[in-house]
Amino acid sequence: MSLVYARHIALFYAQLIVNGLVQGLIVGLAALAVTLVFGVARFANAATGDTMTFGAYAALIGQKATGSLVVAGGAAVGATALLSLTVYALVFRKLAGRSVVALLVTSIGVGFLLRAALGIIFGHNQQLFTVPLVRPIRFNGLIINPFDLQLAAVAAVALVGVFLVLYATPIGRRMRAVADNRELALVSGIRPERVMIALWMLVGAVTGVAGMMLGMKTVVSPELGWEMLLPAFAAAILGGIGSPAGAVIAGLLLGVVQELSTPFVGFTYKLSISFVVLLLVLLVRPRGLFGRLEGVR
Amino acid sequence: MEAYLVAIAIVALIYVLLALGLTLQYGFTGLINFGHVGFFAIGAYTSAILAMSGVPLVLSFAAGTIVAGLAAWPIGLIALRLRDDYFAIVTLGFSETVRLVITSEKWLTNGVQGIPAIPRMFASISVGSLASFAVLAVLLVVTIIAVLGMGRIVKSPFGRIIEAIRDNEDAVKALGKDPARFKVQVLILGSGLAGLAGAFYAHYITYIVPDQFIPLVTFYVWMAIIIGGVGRVSGAVVGTVLLMVLLEGSRFIRDVMPFISDVEMASVRLGVIGLLLILFTIYRPQGLMGDFTRR
Repeated sequence: MSLVYARHIALFYAQLIVNGLVQGLIVGLAALAVTLVFGVARFANAATGDTMTFGAYAALIGQKATGSLVVAGGAAVGATALLSLTVYALVFRKLAGRSVVALLVTSIGVGFLLRAALGIIFGHNQQLFTVPLVRPIRFNGLIINPFDLQLAAVAAVALVGVFLVLYATPIGRRMRAVADNRELALVSGIRPERVMIALWMLVGAVTGVAGMMLGMKTVVSPELGWEMLLPAFAAAILGGIGSPAGAVIAGLLLGVVQELSTPFVGFTYKLSISFVVLLLVLLVRPRGLFGRLEGVR
Repeated sequence: MEAYLVAIAIVALIYVLLALGLTLQYGFTGLINFGHVGFFAIGAYTSAILAMSGVPLVLSFAAGTIVAGLAAWPIGLIALRLRDDYFAIVTLGFSETVRLVITSEKWLTNGVQGIPAIPRMFASISVGSLASFAVLAVLLVVTIIAVLGMGRIVKSPFGRIIEAIRDNEDAVKALGKDPARFKVQVLILGSGLAGLAGAFYAHYITYIVPDQFIPLVTFYVWMAIIIGGVGRVSGAVVGTVLLMVLLEGSRFIRDVMPFISDVEMASVRLGVIGLLLILFTIYRPQGLMGDFTRR
């Protein structure tokens, strides 16, 4: 009896971990976007959540128009990268050299403006992606949705793409150089304008993928991404600000912790888990798991 | 019309109290509090719950103020160690957590249904408009006291130190002053003021639900002080008046153009707030009443 019970309990938590991993990939992608902007452009971009919402709607339109999820993904990546670049050109570029507060407050403004525009254009009805029903895979009692596997694959591809850009291309090397030591990078002849353009497009693409995934896991509404902002910040800080790999790992951790916490604190408090994690990290280890002290300052 | 104007004036003064609290925290001390609405909510719920269980209004108002101020204390302790943007994120997280708590703890707050029929101020005065005037008068007195108090604080040695913290924290440390202690005090003061505003709000509207305490309220106040001019008491007042014009003006637009739905208007308001935050930060960071020497 006790053995059966133990297995039952173990399965229950294993299932939560599996669900948490998928959720965690979304958090990780969002945190990656946050941490890239923080590392290179040096501010906490509060518009990240609403940019994700934009990506979700772009994907939705892509799917409605063609019926293909691949096209939807392309639309999310392309449109959000373009949006991100536009926002940089129209707004953040003008604030270069200004205080962190100016950038932070402005990014809140950008987020509000985006959310308002989406609300006016698409209305406030919740919309759904049409996803084919598939039989779940059973694996030793564990239920795995093949759809989740596909999402995980998409996230993996996106991550590999980002890391390839960052670590295997000249522009990625320049980006990391600017993140590492801005002044040194500038005197060594790196043109910040180009780095910024590449950065914002890359960040937009990642945010678009994250938004589409979030939209597919839940329902698409103008408020979709805002809820993701706190977990994204928490994961970025937990991973160590400016550390791309840290952001992804911390996102996965946070996703799993959030799911594991639900039997104890209930569904509504799931969101505050990220707040608690955030507080703990900032109090105990402000540079995060993988950040260097320099990166924090 | 008269009743309407009184109602607007009351809500405007409640926002002025909120804006004064934020001006003290951000304008004078440089603390980026993105969770102002959390303290507003704590004040509103504390006072409402106490009054519902029979505590006299004066005491429940005081409790709302004190509890909101005390809630800022642990946040302040954390603020000692954080740089600006982390502090902003933490306070935003705090206000969202407050909202989750009042949504979830039904035994205390009645959850999403909210608390109806909160005792009014001056309920003994039976003539409705007279009671509103009395509320307005009390609020006006409280606001004037708050404005004068702020003026004195700013000119006192305490005020010079918090402004110095804003401008150069390291220099303050070098003088042997502990910036952290002052930050905590400023947070408690500003949040207490937000709590008091919350108490007025709860007992004036007489019905509170968690949805009234979304982060947007925080950014209404931010918009008000940014438009008015950060670090100016007059800025807080002017900005709040413009905020009211915006909020109430959109209601009139709906009267004239009824084909615009409520949710659409909410989106428009959100968009206008966003646009103003962007434009003012880029083109007029000192605000309308601002100090032209600073940027």
